[in-house]
Amino acid sequence: MTVADAPGTTGPPLDTRRVDAREKVTGRARYAVDRVPENVAYGAWATARIGKGRVVRVDTAAAEAVPGVRLVITRFGPDELHDVGFLMAGGHAVQSLQPLRDDRIAYRGQPVALVVADSLVAATEAAQLITAEYEEEPFTVKIGAEGAETVLQEQAIPLPFLADVKVGDAEAAFAASPVQITGTYEHPAQHAMPMEPNASVVHWEGDRLIVDDTTQNANAVRFGLATQLGIDPADVEVRSPYVGGGFGQKNAMHLHLGPIAVAARRLGRPVKMVLPRPQVFHLGAFRPNTVHQVRLGANEKGELLAAIHEVDQQTSRHDLFPSEITTVSSRLYATPAFRGEQRLVRTDVQTPGFMRSPHESPSMFAFESAMDELAYATGRDPVELRLAHDTPTDPVTGLPFSGRHLAECLRRGAARFGWDARDPEPGSMTAEDGSAVGWGVAAGCYPGGIVPVVAHLSAVADGTLTVGVGGHEFGQGLRSAVALLVARDLGVPVDTVIVRAGDTRVAPQHLTAGSWGTASALPAVQAALGELREALDVPASGDVDVAAAVRATGRPAVAVEATTLAPGQSRDDLAQLDKGVLAIGGPVYPEFVTFSWAAHFVEVRIERTTRRIRVPRVVSVVDCGRVASPVTAASQVRGGVVWGIGQALREESEVDSRFGGFLNTTLEDYPVPVNLDVQQIDVDFIDEPDLRFNPAGVKGVGEICMVGVSAAIANAVHHATGRRMRRLPIRLEHVL
Amino acid sequence: MACTVNGRDVSLDLDPRESLLDMLREQLALTGTKKGCDQGHCGACTVHVDGRRVLSCLTPAVQVAGQAVTTIEGVAGEDSGLHPLQQAFIDHDALQCGYCTPGQIMSGIACIAEGHCGSDDEIREYMSGNICRCAAYVGIVAAVRQTADAVRNGA
Amino acid sequence: MRAFSYVAPDTVDATVAALRTAPPGTRILAGGTTLYDLMKLEIETPPAVVDVHRIAELDTIDAGERELVFGAGARMADVADHPVIRTAYPGLAESLWQAASQQLRNMATVGGNLLQRTRCPYFRNGTEFPCNKRDPGSGCAAVGGHDRAHALLGGSDACIATYPGDFAVMLLAFDAVVDVTGPAGERTVPLAGLHVEPGDEPTREHVLAPDELIVRIRVPATPAGRGSTYLKIRDRESYAFALAAAAVGLTVDADGTVGDCRIGLGGVATRPWRATEAEQTLIGGPLTPQTARRAGEAAFAGARSGAENGFRIELGVRTVADALRIAGERATR
Repeated sequence: MTVADAPGTTGPPLDTRRVDAREKVTGRARYAVDRVPENVAYGAWATARIGKGRVVRVDTAAAEAVPGVRLVITRFGPDELHDVGFLMAGGHAVQSLQPLRDDRIAYRGQPVALVVADSLVAATEAAQLITAEYEEEPFTVKIGAEGAETVLQEQAIPLPFLADVKVGDAEAAFAASPVQITGTYEHPAQHAMPMEPNASVVHWEGDRLIVDDTTQNANAVRFGLATQLGIDPADVEVRSPYVGGGFGQKNAMHLHLGPIAVAARRLGRPVKMVLPRPQVFHLGAFRPNTVHQVRLGANEKGELLAAIHEVDQQTSRHDLFPSEITTVSSRLYATPAFRGEQRLVRTDVQTPGFMRSPHESPSMFAFESAMDELAYATGRDPVELRLAHDTPTDPVTGLPFSGRHLAECLRRGAARFGWDARDPEPGSMTAEDGSAVGWGVAAGCYPGGIVPVVAHLSAVADGTLTVGVGGHEFGQGLRSAVALLVARDLGVPVDTVIVRAGDTRVAPQHLTAGSWGTASALPAVQAALGELREALDVPASGDVDVAAAVRATGRPAVAVEATTLAPGQSRDDLAQLDKGVLAIGGPVYPEFVTFSWAAHFVEVRIERTTRRIRVPRVVSVVDCGRVASPVTAASQVRGGVVWGIGQALREESEVDSRFGGFLNTTLEDYPVPVNLDVQQIDVDFIDEPDLRFNPAGVKGVGEICMVGVSAAIANAVHHATGRRMRRLPIRLEHVL
Repeated sequence: MACTVNGRDVSLDLDPRESLLDMLREQLALTGTKKGCDQGHCGACTVHVDGRRVLSCLTPAVQVAGQAVTTIEGVAGEDSGLHPLQQAFIDHDALQCGYCTPGQIMSGIACIAEGHCGSDDEIREYMSGNICRCAAYVGIVAAVRQTADAVRNGA
Repeated sequence: MRAFSYVAPDTVDATVAALRTAPPGTRILAGGTTLYDLMKLEIETPPAVVDVHRIAELDTIDAGERELVFGAGARMADVADHPVIRTAYPGLAESLWQAASQQLRNMATVGGNLLQRTRCPYFRNGTEFPCNKRDPGSGCAAVGGHDRAHALLGGSDACIATYPGDFAVMLLAFDAVVDVTGPAGERTVPLAGLHVEPGDEPTREHVLAPDELIVRIRVPATPAGRGSTYLKIRDRESYAFALAAAAVGLTVDADGTVGDCRIGLGGVATRPWRATEAEQTLIGGPLTPQTARRAGEAAFAGARSGAENGFRIELGVRTVADALRIAGERATR
């Protein structure tokens, strides 16, 4: 799998395989808790068993009597753990509510005590022995249930990018439309469940706090802990070079970090904590439940006259997790009038958060299902209808899109899939074994963000190049993309490039999420390459004999640094990064608007009798600008498609209103796709650089690849059965 | 409790409650074996005991007394090169975050040895006990198939 | 997990001796996939554990002409892959390889698998949920709760937890028996009498005494083995428990008349379920899509559904009908 893909260079073909694969297949890659420090102690939570209320008393006697138990903590003093704040409200943590600071129980599953012991066995036993008395209060865990409180996002969080979208008079245009599509679509709560649970090792070296954590946001951990413990951020070092999957679940500081840092200081020992899988369901972000009402107005030919997308999105009682549902539905197609309204519904759960294509995939499930309904209502082919609504300008701002190849995604995907052979009549296609066959299509878009990034690049006399860059590697291929960029630019073998990421020692580590990681890091590395060429006194382009050039400087090594910002950002935004505050640019930039685009074509087969739904093949074509790392990008897309399958057919975080919290809190009860669920996935890229967006021409790929898949599946199920699926997941009982 | 781990004799004073997984990771610092769920639901902790793939999270460590445990750290050849399946995982990009990968490879090596690689669907079935949330399943099947074919052809 | 004492005898005799002197609440540990898991969850808190998983005399498979004899310690994976089982009793092999994952099947013994405990989330996922099985008298959260995967047959007001196993369902259809031993001596228990319905005592799941050890499973040889199948319908394609499953063994005479017919139901009842009335509707008549469907309906005639699990009655009927078709094809091949 080595390709001759090194334009402008004369060296041997570049090895495009994942650069950190060898460490991973040998088990040598060191994840957060793979460190086993001398004299380490183990932490464990005991959690609340009521839906909401107050802790009256925690009985810790039995726990304290367990041999090997060193600490049982039920309450931290106000000066011991300060407020950190919710990430999306300017703070750093997964939610504003830090357990063990007061007697509030906001939801079932919230910790009520921390145990630290010499062994994991002792810590676990002791945590299980802790009981508590509570004063219970009424609670609500569902949108629409009594006690749920709805707020208008525009009023509750007055930030421009979270405001209602208003283009034209959509209500009037809809009312006057001869064809009206009205649908209510529900997307369940879901949990990302990366394979690596939330886990950390902390230890103190004097006044310095050293943290090994699994995170997509080492800056949040660093600044969050500094805030929480009242220490200088410079004294907090956070290392997260390998992350066992993130998907947004590791975007913010987790709630155990401050408590175990205090425990480690009290004990004078390192403390390790790995959240048991059921606790991961209650202590981290989840994709909130959303209910969408979509109304499309069109003329008899199917031309859109108005689109209205209203959404109710679950949030917690104590925080507002903002919705960006209509950011994408307002951008997908040309329409003269659009209205988007986002409402947040307070329920008694932990604060929801990001999960791969967090808003975009639920948004597209609803909107692209409605578009399919419009196609059927007006007798248009679903692909052709979408092509007819292509637009080079952003319907919301009127600015041009920096790059939009959605039409090409649709055309190419249709050709690869063989869409022409589709009989549009629902239920008309049957497989040899009698299964009903359905073919569905949907498109998607995802905002193109960029954050400020600092890149350090050094070259040494043996020809080795080391990049230290802001950004986390959690499998998406950031390291591979950076190494390939350097190798291509300088015409050197990929294995001479070492990429260090996810470590506060090498560069500020911003939140790596929202598909902006690679699109932000590559421009910084590219700028650093320019600096390096100047420092080495070599031409601005062409192959470089790095070893010779370094030796010619008379120095053992040459080190440079570069910083890049999003278009329109200033040094102030960089200062935000240095304070650990989010500074995200886009998708609306001063002169253009940037999105990634995709089209998905899905075949489903539904068994004749027992009605199991299978997905034998998917074709996905993605416009993510230039493909920076072809091998890892293709893997990202295949993974995103499988996420879409899980989203559409498998995953729902269930709640039982009588008990609060979540019910199916294991990987058995929460069924993510397994190997046999996945068959053929055909991936193609447009691979046109978006050079207005950034000089590397890259846009995000890891999120867009999932957006629209669930709608394509729902549309395919409709094609197979004639039944509209307006609620996910679609299970066999819905087509029995 | 005495056993061998990757060919080396190991003797430990164990709490009978401790899992083989925690023994490997916390006592022996063999951290290639991963804890994904600790409940037998994900396969990340797969190791071999006397050549058979098992879940180390559901194996009390005391149960492997006298047996031979092999982990990801022990599958490479004498020259500490890569096992052919490890190489195939690299070549087919059968991984992303890498966290489930040691378990996938331990499972895949056993799947090939068991003879459960007759078709892609058989590989999928017999690799379904190893969840990959990044969903590198297409690559995993390709890597296992290629390695199984090579074994069958005497390579 | 609570601390416990641990012994691992080498022989059945030594195990019986150990059980004779063991403290109340002692549990027998085999593959560990259920017991150790439930000990981690503190649903099982035995003071002592007697480990039988390495007793060589229990780890046997004998596919004889008159009966199949599986030592209780034989691994699920080994029985599933046994060449005679695969060809002469495909339903038995299917009931094994469709259960869990290969890693778990390498660990779990066939004896232990018979006594696998329910996967009801209210039973397993926390003491905050009332559960008469875990905490007698506390109530049943599944009744009136999320009961999508709960039992349609054999439930009571006290408990509707589904028996999760597959192998026992196929064994039941084949009239298997288990030989057990213990301080009180040896006895043979027919599989049909091994498990009990929850009634008002859901903690009691089978008739074995705590100090009784299953030593072997015996299956009378039957030509219905060749015409057998275990069809399991799940929420995902593999590594999941059944929404509905049917264990069917058939013989079909030369004129197309059904001779022998055995139908077991998995994943839909509180214990392995034999659908005797359904069998009777087919014996002596032809196997057609219509008669298969009628048999399925007979199998679920007594089903009682709750809030979310009603669809599994129709699914179960169809699963039985499909399994009959598959078994019929095998029986006449």
